[in-house]
Amino acid sequence: MSSPVNMNDRKSKSPLGDLGVSVAISSLNLKYQQKSVLKDLNWNINRSENWVLGGTSGSGKTSLAKIIAGLQNAIGEVKINFDTGSHLPAEVLFVESWYQFKNLEGVANFYYQQRYTSQQAKDTLTVHAELVGFGKENGLHFDHVEPILEALNFATFASSQLIELSSGEHKKLQLVKALWLKPQFLIIDQPYTGLDASSRKNLNILLDEISADGVQLILICNDSELPSSINHFAEIKNGQLVEVDSIDTVSATEKHSREIPYFLKESPVYSSQNIIKMVDVNISYGEKQVLKNINWEVKAGEKWLLQGHNGSGKSTLLSLVNGDHPQSYANELYLFGNRRGSGESIWDIKQHIGLISPEFHWYFDATSTVWQSIASGFYDTVGLFQQLPYTKSAQVDELIAYFGLTGSKNELLNTMPLGKQRLVLLARTIIKNPELLILDEPCQGLDIQQTQHFNQLVDELCSNGMTLIYVGHFESQLPTCLEKRILLENGEVKIVESLNTKTRHNEVRSNLLHGTI
Amino acid sequence: MSNYFNTLPLREKLNQLGVCDFMDSSEFLDGVSALKGKKLVIVGCGAQGLNQGLNLRDSGLDVSYTLRKEAIEGKRDSWKNATENNFKVGTYEELIPTADVVINLTPDKQHTAVVNAIMPLMKDGATLLYSHGFNIVEEGMQIRKDLTVIMVAPKCPGSEVRAEYVRGFGVPTLIAVHPENDPQGKGLAQAKAYAVGTGGHRAGVLKSSFVAEVKSDLMGEQTILCGLLQTGSILSFDKMVEKGIDAGYASKLVQYGVEVITEALKQGGITAMMDRLSNIAKIKAFEISEELKDIMRPLFQKHQDDIMSGEFSRIMMEDWANGDKNLLAWRAETGETAFEKTPAGDAKIGEQEYFDNYLLMVAFVRAGVELAFETMVQAGIKPESAYYESLHETPLIANTIARKKLFEMNRVISDTAEYGCYLFDQACKPLLSDFMKKVDTDLVGKNFNEGKDGGVDNRKLIDVNEAIRSHEVEQIGATLRKAMTAMKAIKTA
Repeated sequence: MSSPVNMNDRKSKSPLGDLGVSVAISSLNLKYQQKSVLKDLNWNINRSENWVLGGTSGSGKTSLAKIIAGLQNAIGEVKINFDTGSHLPAEVLFVESWYQFKNLEGVANFYYQQRYTSQQAKDTLTVHAELVGFGKENGLHFDHVEPILEALNFATFASSQLIELSSGEHKKLQLVKALWLKPQFLIIDQPYTGLDASSRKNLNILLDEISADGVQLILICNDSELPSSINHFAEIKNGQLVEVDSIDTVSATEKHSREIPYFLKESPVYSSQNIIKMVDVNISYGEKQVLKNINWEVKAGEKWLLQGHNGSGKSTLLSLVNGDHPQSYANELYLFGNRRGSGESIWDIKQHIGLISPEFHWYFDATSTVWQSIASGFYDTVGLFQQLPYTKSAQVDELIAYFGLTGSKNELLNTMPLGKQRLVLLARTIIKNPELLILDEPCQGLDIQQTQHFNQLVDELCSNGMTLIYVGHFESQLPTCLEKRILLENGEVKIVESLNTKTRHNEVRSNLLHGTI
Repeated sequence: MSNYFNTLPLREKLNQLGVCDFMDSSEFLDGVSALKGKKLVIVGCGAQGLNQGLNLRDSGLDVSYTLRKEAIEGKRDSWKNATENNFKVGTYEELIPTADVVINLTPDKQHTAVVNAIMPLMKDGATLLYSHGFNIVEEGMQIRKDLTVIMVAPKCPGSEVRAEYVRGFGVPTLIAVHPENDPQGKGLAQAKAYAVGTGGHRAGVLKSSFVAEVKSDLMGEQTILCGLLQTGSILSFDKMVEKGIDAGYASKLVQYGVEVITEALKQGGITAMMDRLSNIAKIKAFEISEELKDIMRPLFQKHQDDIMSGEFSRIMMEDWANGDKNLLAWRAETGETAFEKTPAGDAKIGEQEYFDNYLLMVAFVRAGVELAFETMVQAGIKPESAYYESLHETPLIANTIARKKLFEMNRVISDTAEYGCYLFDQACKPLLSDFMKKVDTDLVGKNFNEGKDGGVDNRKLIDVNEAIRSHEVEQIGATLRKAMTAMKAIKTA
C-alpha cells in the first residue's frame, strides 16, 4: 500500500536500524502535471555510504532530495533511520541550489539590484549576526565556524549585510552553516555552483572531514572533482534510481541543428560604435571601495570575457553598464556614445542591452509562462505588462521554436528545471536583437552538457555582429567566439588582453598555473 | 491660517470633494517631457523621498535634495541616504532658489515650518509639490500666488515604489492640482509627468483634488485601516486568552491572520474574503458583521463629521502644540498591551485555518470596510476615492501588522494616521464591550465548523451572497481592480 510521505512518519525510528540501512525508500512516485517524474523508485542507503546523484537536468534529482528532506510530498515510503548513538543532530539538512534569504522581519520581499542602493535603514542582519543566531539556535560553538569561514574564503564578509551578498555568496553562507551544524544527513544541490577553484578544493576537504565525523552525504551534481569520501554514484533514469560506476561528465552534446530565426541573422542596428567607455570609474560604499579607477572601452561587435574572483567587482561593473547602479551618475561613464546622466532614462539604456545573471534570474517573475517571459524582453520588464503587436509576437514564436521550447511555451517558469529556465532567459535577452549581450555567469548551476549546449547557442547567436560580455569562471567552458579578456582583482583592472582563439584555453590554463589569476 | 475647506462655499466644497477620475493611459503619452531639463529639488530624504528620487533620476530627470542645515552638518541618515547614492545635497538657501519644482516629502507635522522656510526662497513661477494635502486643506497654508501647487501621492510604501519601478511597472498613484494655485495652467501636465517619472502611470493614476484626498485619506486611515484593525486585534487576542486558548497561538493567529484574510480581500474584494468561509461560517460572519455595523456606525459617522468640520485637525494640532502629549501616552499604552508583549508561538497555522479559526476578524474587516466606504460616499466623496482609502489600503496595513505587530505599525504610518488610529481605538473598545461579552472561541481561536452540521437553508445563503455581492464597494472595486491590473493581468493569463 502506498501512502503520502509524511514528515512525522519519517522521523520515527524504524526497525531497519539493525540492518545498517539509514535511508530506505520504496515505491516512490511523483507526478508533475500529469508527467511521471519518479516511478516506483527504490533506494537503500547504508550507514557508510556517501552518494553523488547525477544525470540529466529535469530527471527529478532535486525533487527526490526534497522528498528525503521532508520538504516535498510524494506517494510512497521514505524511512529515515537516525543513529541514536550519534552525537550529531538527527536531522536531514537540504542545501538548496538557490537560496532565498529573509530580512529582519522574516520576509523575503527584496528586489532586483536593491543591494546597490545605499539606505540607512538597515533591513537585514550582518553575516556575523546571522551566524551567531544560527549557532545559538543549534547549540554550536562559534570557534568551530571560523576555520570553515577561512577555508571557504568567507571571513571577510562578516560585517556585510545579507542584502549586499551576491547569489554565489549566499550559497556559500548556506554551505558554511551546513558544515558547522554537521547533521546526520547532508544533501547539497549543486555544491560547487558559484565557487572559485580554491573554494571548491577546500569544500571537498571539509566534506571529507565531516564525513569522517559521521555525516552522510548526498551531493547532486555532475562534477568530476569530488570529495574522496564519495563511494557511490547514481542517476535517475526513467523515474528510477540506477546505480552507476561513476558520473559520466562528458556526454556528447545534443547536436543543435535548427536554423537561426531570420530576424536574428541580421546585424543589430548600432546607435554608436562606442558601446562602453569608462574613465577612472570608482565605486564605494562608505569606506569600502569596490571598484578602483576602472578604465575600459568596448567597441561595437567585440566579444569580451570578464573574469575575476568572487567579490572582485564583476557584478558591480556590469550593473553600471546596465543602468542599475545609483553611483553611475557620479562617474565618467559613456554608454552607446552618450554620457551617463545626461538626461537618459534607464529604460533608454536597457533597450540596447540583453542581460542575464544569476541575480536577475533570482528576482525574475517565475510565475510568468515561457512565452510571456521571452516576450517581456522586448520591453526589459520583469513580467509582461502589454500586448505584443503581431510581428513581435511572431518573432517570439520563431525564437521559441529555435530553442526547442515550443512544447512548453505555456508552462510556468517555476515548473521547469533550472537548465531550461536559463535557456528561456537567454531567449529573452536575445529577442530584440540587442546591440550588447551581457551574460553574467549564465551557466551557473548548469551541468556540463547544458553548459556546452548553452555556449554553442551563444556562439551561433552572436555571429551576426552582436557585442558580447561574458562572465565565466576560469575552469568553466566558454563560448569560442570570445576574443578579448578583462580580469578584475580587488576592484581593479588587472589584465586586459586579446585572446588568440586557438591558444586561448592553454593561455588561461597557464595563467592559472602560474598564479596570475 | 484657517482651514481651507471651511472657507469654501458649499457648492465649491461639494465640487472639490467629488473629484476622482481614473485616467486613461493615453493621458501619459508625453512621458516626463513636462519636467525634462527642469531642476527638481526634494525636501527630505526618508523612505518616500529617497525612492521617489531614485525613480525620477532613473527616468532621466535632474534630481537633488535639500535638507536642514543640522541634518547636513550632523551627517544624519537623510544626508547619508542622499549623498551615498550620489545625489547633490544642499541647504535650503543653496538649492531652493534654483528649483523649478520643489517636492515636499517631509512628515505632515513639519509642513508648516518647512513651507514657511522654503517659500520665500522659491523662484517666481516655480512649482511646489506635496504628496499629502493636509497642510493646504486642514492648516490652510497660503501659497504665494505665482507658484503652482500640485500633489502626487504614490499609494504604497517607499520601498514598493522603487521595487515596482525597477521591474518596469509602478504603483497606483493619485494626482491633484490645487485650484487656488495654478496660475500658468501647467499643474496637471507636471503632475502627470511626475507620475510617469515614478512609474505610477503604468499601474493606474487617479485624478483627485487636495480636498478629496485629505478628507478621504483621514477617514480611511483612522477608521478601517489602522483604527479598527488595532481594536479588533486587541479584543480578539484578549478574548482568546480569557477563554483559555494558548497565548502563543492567539498571538500568532492575530498577528498573521489579518494579512492572510485581507489577501483574499485584495484579490477579490469582500466577496472573495467571505467565500473563503464555509457556508455556515459565512452566514455567521455576515450576521455578526451586520451587528457590528449597527454598533459602530455612529462612531464612523462622528469621525467623518469631525474630519469634514475640521474638528479632528484642530484637536490633533492642539496635541502637536502640546508636545504630542496624547499621542505619546496612547503610543506607550499600545506598547504595553498583552498582544504586543506575547510573542507568536511555534504552532503551525495553515492558510485556511486563519479563516476558519478567526471568523471574528473576517466580520470586523467586512463591517469596517463597508462602513468606512458607505460613510465616505454619504459625505460626498466619490466611490472611487472611498474604495481606495478603505478596501484597497487595508491589505497594506495588514501586511505591516504581520511584520511588526501594532506598536511598530503605528510607528511606520504617518503621525496623522497614528493619532487618528488611537482616537478611534479609545472610543471603539467601550462601544464593543457588550458585543464582546457574547463572543466565544467558536468565533475566535477555534474552528467555527467543528462539531457543527454544515447544512444551510438555500434561501438564506442566496440572500447573504446577494447582500455581499451587490454592495457598492464590490461593484466599484471590481471595475477598479480590473483597470489597475489590466496590464498585469496579461502576466497571469
